[in-house]
Amino acid sequence: MIARFIKSASLALLIFSLHIPAFAATCSCAGVPLLAFIDTSATEKGQLFISYYAEYHQINDLVSGSDDVNDETGRDRNTFSQVLSASYALTDHWAISALASYVKHNRTIGSSFLGKTTTSGISDSVILARYTPVFITPFSRHALSLGLGVRIPTGEDDFGDTFVLSEDMQPSTGAFGEILWASYSYAFNQAATVQLNTSVNYTFNEENDRQYAFGDEFNFASGISQSIGTKFSYSAALRYRTTRADSRFGFAIPNTGGQWLDFIPAVQYAVNDHLNFGLSGRIPVARKLNGALQFTTSYSVAFSVSYGF
Amino acid sequence: MRTESLKAFCLILFLVQLVSAREPAPLFSGIALNTHQQISLSDYRGKIVLVDFWASWCPPCLASLPAYDQMRREIGTEEFEIIAINVDENTDDGLAFLNNHPVSYPVLADPKGKIGIPYGIRTLPRSFLLDRDGQVITSYKSFRAGDEKTLKQAIEGLLGNVNP
Repeated sequence: MIARFIKSASLALLIFSLHIPAFAATCSCAGVPLLAFIDTSATEKGQLFISYYAEYHQINDLVSGSDDVNDETGRDRNTFSQVLSASYALTDHWAISALASYVKHNRTIGSSFLGKTTTSGISDSVILARYTPVFITPFSRHALSLGLGVRIPTGEDDFGDTFVLSEDMQPSTGAFGEILWASYSYAFNQAATVQLNTSVNYTFNEENDRQYAFGDEFNFASGISQSIGTKFSYSAALRYRTTRADSRFGFAIPNTGGQWLDFIPAVQYAVNDHLNFGLSGRIPVARKLNGALQFTTSYSVAFSVSYGF
Repeated sequence: MRTESLKAFCLILFLVQLVSAREPAPLFSGIALNTHQQISLSDYRGKIVLVDFWASWCPPCLASLPAYDQMRREIGTEEFEIIAINVDENTDDGLAFLNNHPVSYPVLADPKGKIGIPYGIRTLPRSFLLDRDGQVITSYKSFRAGDEKTLKQAIEGLLGNVNP
C-alpha cells in the first residue's frame, strides 16, 4: 500500500514537475552581467587593479510584457556569481582588462525537492582592450574610453542528467561573443568629486555547439557619482538594457529578450590609497519583455573589493 | 676573473639602464605667488630639486606642504630646493591656503596646466625629484604622513649626506 502511494506520489510529482516548464517562461536574464563587473580602473601607465565581485541575483518576477503577473507556482530562481577581474594600463592610453567568473544557479519549482535544480561552475571570461584618448585631470573635465573585447566560453554548458538543462541554467553560454564598449565621464568640478558617468556596450552573441545563441545585448548606463572626503563615495545610475530574442538553429525562441530599465545605487569605501570596498544593487524600474510570460530580475545585490598596485 | 667581468658587465648594464631611464624634466618659469620672485627651473641646475604639484581641494596635498617645508629646513637650501606648482583653477584658493599656512619655498600658479600637462599630471598630489642635471630621478604619487621621511632619505642620498 505504502509502496503504491509512494509510486503514485512520485508519478504525480514527475508529471507536475514536467508540467511546470511547459507553461513557465524562459528566463532571459540569468546570464551573469559580466561587463558590469569588468574592472576598468587602470588608466595610467603601469597601474594594475584587481577586483573581486560577488553578486546575488534574484530572478522571481513573472512579467507579461510590462505587467507583473502573480506567480503561484512556488518557483524560486537565483544566481550567485563570483567575478575576478583585473585591469592593467600598458601605456597612458592603452589598457587591458580581463575577467573570469564562477556562477551557481539555483532553481526550485514547486515545493518538492524533486523540483530543485542547482548547477555551478566556471562561467564565461572576458578580455577587453581599451583606448583612452582623453582622461580627467586637474586640467581636463572629460574622459573618453573606447574598447573592443571578446567573451570566451571558458566553462561548461552541457549540465543535465537525462536532458541537457536549459541554457539559462548553464554556468557558461558555451559561445563566443564580440564586444563593443565605450565610456564617457564628465567632472563637474576640478577635484572631480562629482562626475557624470556614462557607459555603453554591445555584445554580438554567437551560437554554441547546440546551435543556441543568446540574443545580442545592448546596455546604456548613465549616472552621477560623488566622493565625500577621501574615503566615501556613492553613485546612482539608470541602466537601459535590451536583448534580442535567443535563438536556436536561427529561429527566435519565444519568451526571451526584451527591454529593461534598472536603477543601480552603489556606495564605496576606500580603506586607503590601494584598497576599496563596494556595495551595489540593481532594482527594476520598468521592463517590456517579449512573449507572453518571462521570469526576470527581482533585484540583485553585489559586494566588491578591489586593490590597486 | 670571469665572474668579476660578468659582475662589471651587469653593473654597467644596470647603470646604463638607470641613466637611460631618466628623462629631462620639462622646463618652466614664472613669478612665485608667495615670494614674488621670478623662478625658472633651469636656474636650479646643480641642485637637487623637488617639483611638487598641489591644489587647495586636495587634502593629502595640504598635508604635504608643511611637511615638505619642514624637510626643506632640515636639509638646507645650499644644494636642494622645492618648487611647488599650485594648479587651482582659481589661484585665489591656493593663495588663501598659503596665507594661512605659509611655506618658505617658491609656489608658482598653473591654473591652465601649462606646467602640469607636460609633466603628465593626472592626479594629485604628484611630485618629481630631479637630479643636479634636471633629469627626473623618480616621481611620487599621493602623500601620507611620514612619506617625507622616505623622501628626505632619498634626497640626502643624492646629496651624499647619508651617514653610514
